[in-house]
Amino acid sequence: MKRSQRVYERLVQAFPHEFKLAHGEEMLETGEAAMAHMGKRRGWAGLARLLVDAAVHVPIEYFSEMRRDLQYAARSLVKSPGFALVGILSMGLAIGLTTHVYSSNWAMLTRPMEGVAHADRLVMAQMPVSYFYIERYREQGNVFEGVAAFQTAVPFNMRLPGEADNKQQRIFGQLVSPDYFRVMGVDAQRGRVLSEAMDHAGDAPTAVISDKFWRTRLASRSDAVGLVLRVNGQAVTIVGIAPRGFEGALAAESASELFVPVTAPPAVAPELANDVLHRRNAREFWALASLAPGVALSQAESALDGVTRRLDADDPLAPPQSDKARRVTLLLAGTRAPIPLELKRALEGFFGVLMGVVIVIACMNLGAMLMARGANRRKEFAIRMSIGASRFRLARQLMSEGLLLSLLGGLLGFGLAYMLHVLNAQMYQAVDAPGLPELGIDWRAAVFAFVAALVCGVALSVAPALRVTRSELTPALKEGPAMQLPGHRRFGLRNLAMAAQLAGSLTLLLITGFVLIGFARAYRVQTNFDPRTMAMASIDPVRDGESPEKALDLFARLPQRLKVSGKFSRIALTTLPPYAAVDDDDKEPLTVDDPQAAQRVQQAAVKWSVGAGYFAALDEHLMSGREFNDTDERSLMEPVADNATRLMPVVLNETAAMKLFGSSSAIGKHLRDRSQGYEVIGVVHDLKSGMGIKQAIAYVPLSREDFVRSRAAGITILARAKPGMDGATAVRDVLSSLDPKLVPFHVESLSDQLAISRREIRSAMRTYGGIGGFGLILSAIGLAGITAYSVAQRKREIGIRMAVGANKGQVLRLVLREGIALITVGTAMGFAGAVLVSKALSAATSVIADALAMGTNDPRLLIGAPVLLAALALVACYIPARAVLRIDPLKALRTE
Amino acid sequence: MTMKQAEQFLPLKPQWFHILLALAGDEQHGYGIMQEVLERTTGKVRLWPATLYGSLKRMIEADLIAESSKRPRPELDDARRRYYRLTPLGRQVLDGECERLQGLVHAIQMKRKMVTG
Repeated sequence: MKRSQRVYERLVQAFPHEFKLAHGEEMLETGEAAMAHMGKRRGWAGLARLLVDAAVHVPIEYFSEMRRDLQYAARSLVKSPGFALVGILSMGLAIGLTTHVYSSNWAMLTRPMEGVAHADRLVMAQMPVSYFYIERYREQGNVFEGVAAFQTAVPFNMRLPGEADNKQQRIFGQLVSPDYFRVMGVDAQRGRVLSEAMDHAGDAPTAVISDKFWRTRLASRSDAVGLVLRVNGQAVTIVGIAPRGFEGALAAESASELFVPVTAPPAVAPELANDVLHRRNAREFWALASLAPGVALSQAESALDGVTRRLDADDPLAPPQSDKARRVTLLLAGTRAPIPLELKRALEGFFGVLMGVVIVIACMNLGAMLMARGANRRKEFAIRMSIGASRFRLARQLMSEGLLLSLLGGLLGFGLAYMLHVLNAQMYQAVDAPGLPELGIDWRAAVFAFVAALVCGVALSVAPALRVTRSELTPALKEGPAMQLPGHRRFGLRNLAMAAQLAGSLTLLLITGFVLIGFARAYRVQTNFDPRTMAMASIDPVRDGESPEKALDLFARLPQRLKVSGKFSRIALTTLPPYAAVDDDDKEPLTVDDPQAAQRVQQAAVKWSVGAGYFAALDEHLMSGREFNDTDERSLMEPVADNATRLMPVVLNETAAMKLFGSSSAIGKHLRDRSQGYEVIGVVHDLKSGMGIKQAIAYVPLSREDFVRSRAAGITILARAKPGMDGATAVRDVLSSLDPKLVPFHVESLSDQLAISRREIRSAMRTYGGIGGFGLILSAIGLAGITAYSVAQRKREIGIRMAVGANKGQVLRLVLREGIALITVGTAMGFAGAVLVSKALSAATSVIADALAMGTNDPRLLIGAPVLLAALALVACYIPARAVLRIDPLKALRTE
Repeated sequence: MTMKQAEQFLPLKPQWFHILLALAGDEQHGYGIMQEVLERTTGKVRLWPATLYGSLKRMIEADLIAESSKRPRPELDDARRRYYRLTPLGRQVLDGECERLQGLVHAIQMKRKMVTG
C-alpha cells in the first residue's frame, strides 16, 4: 500500500506544471482517500486502475498543454507577421534548397537503381573492353556470380505500330548479353527478361522494353508483349517489359528504353557487324559484374587485372606493355551513375556537410531572431511569471514558437522543393536530348531535412528561451526590454555564433562565386565565326538500311552536292560535333615512335576523326603544318591487308603536341597506338570543349571504317551557311534529294548545340548560385535579428547617453559598431573557410577543380563578394538600428 | 449564449454528465464530486482522480463549470480545495442532455410496450 502511494505521488508530480498548480494537491488528497477506500473494497485491482488512470493522463495533459502552446504561439506570430514571415522563409528556403540539391544531385549518385535486386553487389570496369575479354572474365567464377556485357546509348530507328510509314523515330537503348538481366537481378513486370536459356544467336530478333517505353510510346497497351516492332527495318518481337523505373546500367549517362540481345543480327543493330563479338580488340562493350558473396571490390579488381594482363600479353597485335599500374579499375555500378568507391565516400561527406551547414545556418538565424524577440517580450514574460507561470512553462512557450516556425518553414520547404523539381523537369524537357533521367523529389531527403529542421528549430530555441526567462522579476517588470541581461559579453557565445554564421555565408558566397565565374569563363567557347550560321546534321546511312558500299558512295558525293547547292561557304564532316567534350574513358594511349629516344613518352589522347577542311570550316588556322585534304581521305578509303604498317596522318592539338613532344616541333614525327602508326602533319590550337575541358586530342582523317560502320553519333555534317540562308533546312533538302531513306538527326545550329552541351553546367550554376544567394539572404536576416536584439538590450544605456548630450548620429554609430566588428571578424573567417573548402572541393571532383582554378583569382569576386556582403550586412544592421532614433530619453530614464 | 451553443456538447461524455449532475444541486469540490457520483450510482461509477481533474480542467475551458469563490464555514473548509459551480451554459447543457436521455428512455418504453403488447 505504501509503495503504491509513493508511485501515485510520483505520477502526480509528473503532470504538467499548470495542472499540478491547479489540481495537484487535491489529486493527492483524492487519491489517498480513494486508496484507503479501495484497500478495503476492491483490493489490488482497484489500486492498479487508479495508477493506470493517472499514468494514462500524464501524456494526455502534456499534449493538451502543447496544443495550447501552439495555439498561443500561432496567435503571437500572427501579431508579428514580419518576424513570422522572415523566420518561415529562412527555414523554408533551407529545407527546400537542401531537399532539391539532394534529390537532383546526390540521389543521382547514390540511389540504387530501381528494380535491381543485386544493386549493392554490381560493379563495372571503368574502361570499355571487348566482348572477347568479357567472356574470359566470366570464367572467374569464384569472384563473380556473373559478368554481363552491354553497349549503351545505341540508337534504334524505329517505326511504332500504328504510325505512318515515313515517321521514323530514333530511340536509344542498349545491346546486352543475354545474362544481363540475371547479373543485375532484374525481373520483368510482364513477359520475360532476356536469358541465356531463351535467347540464342540465329533466333528471331527479340527485345525487352522499358516501362517508360511501354507507357509513353505504346500507351500502356495490354498486348505489348508479343508485339512486333520495326527496328532499323527489321521485325523485332517484344518479349517483356522491364520493371518500373529501370532504365538500364549507366542510366545517368543515357536512360535506355529498349534492350536488344547481342544475339540479334547486325541488321537490327549495326554495332554488331564485323564480327564484333569475337574480335579481341573491339573494345566496345562495358563489363558489368555481380560480385560473389563475400568478395571485396579490391579482390575482384586484382583478379580482373590479372586476367587482363594475361590477355594483353597474348595479343599479337598489341604493343608490349610493362607498366605496373592497374589496367582494370572497378566502379560501383548499382547506382544510376557509377562512381569509384573513394569518390563516393568523399561526395557523401561533402553533400552531408553542405546540407547540414545550410540547415544549421538557418536554425542559428532562427535562434538569434527568437532571442531578439524574447528580449523585447521580457516584460510580458515577467508578468506571466509573477502571476504563477513557471520558467519551464515560458521556455516551452518560446520553444513552441520555434517549433511552429520550423513546421511552417518545413511545409514551405516542401512546396519550394517541388516547385524547383517541376522547373527542372520542364527545363530538361525543353531540351530535346536522348535519355534524360526522370528524377523525382527524394522523399527521404525531404523528411530528413524536415526532421533536422524541427530538431534544430527546437534545440536552438532552448538557449534563448532559458536566457530570456532567467531574469529577476522586479527589474524586468520595471524596465522591460531595457534591462541588461545577465551574461552579455561583446564576444559571448551569441556574437561568436553570429560571426561564424557570417563567415559561413561568405564561404558559401565565395565558393559559389568561384565556381560560377570559373564555369562562365571555362564554358565560353570562342568561335572565330558566328555559331548561328553553322548548320549541323548527323546521318547514319548504314543504320537507315543502306549497304556499306552505298554509304561510301553517299559520303563521297555529299560534300560536292552541298557545295553545288550554292548555299554554303564551308563544308566538313566529323565523327563528333565540334567543341564536344569526350569522356576520359574514350582516350587511347599514344606513344612517340622514336627508336633513338632514351625514354618512351606516352600520352592518352582522344581520337577524333574529321574530314578534309574541318579546321577551315571552323576558321581555325593551324599553328604549324597542314590539315587533312581529300587525298588523305581517299588514300584511307582503300582497304589494305596490313593496317599496322600503314602510317596514318594525324593532326595534334596544342595540349597533345606539348605533352608528347614538349617544345620541339612535332611535324613529321611518328606516333603509335595499340594498332596503328601515325605521322604528325599538323598542330592546331586547343579548341576548348563546351564543358570547358582542354583535352589532348589527336585528329585523324575519316576512314572507310568510319563510313561503313554505323555509330551512335553517326557522321556529323558541318555546313556554314552563306549570309541570309537557312542552313538547317538547306542541309535537310540536300540530304533528302541525295537519298530519301536517310533519317537525319541532331539537325541544329552550332549555337544550339553549344547551348545543349552547357545544359548541365547551367543547372549546376543555378544550384550553386541559389546556394550563394541563399547564404546572402540568411546572413542579412541573422544580422538584422542580432542588431534588433542589441538595440532592445541597450535602450536604457542609449537613453542615458542621449540625456547627457549624445546626438542621434553618435548613438547610431555606437550600435553599428558592434555590427561592424562582427562583419570584420566574420569576413576574415569566411575567407579562411573559402580557401579550405575550395581545396577540399578541388580534391573531390576535377570538374569543380578546373572551374575553381579559373575563378579563384578573379579580383571582382575577391573584392566584390566581401564588399557586397558587408554592404548588405550594414543595411541589415542599419534598419533595426534606426530604432535607437525613436528612443525617448525621458521614457528610458523614467525607470531609474 | 444560445441553445445551439449548448447542443454542440451533446451527447455528453458520461463522466462530464456525472460531474454536471453532481454540481446541479450545490457547489462541490473534486473529492465531493467523486463521492457524490459514487453514492448516487451505488458504487457503480467511480471517477478516478486523473480522469476527474482532467475533465474538470477541460470543462472549465469549455465554460461549462467555473471555480466558485464561495467557501464553506471555516471549520469545514480545507484551503487546498477548489469549489466548482455550474455556469449558465453548463446548466443548459445538462438540461439538454437530460432531455435527450429522457427521450431515449421514452422511446425504449414505447418499444417495449409494442413488443409485449
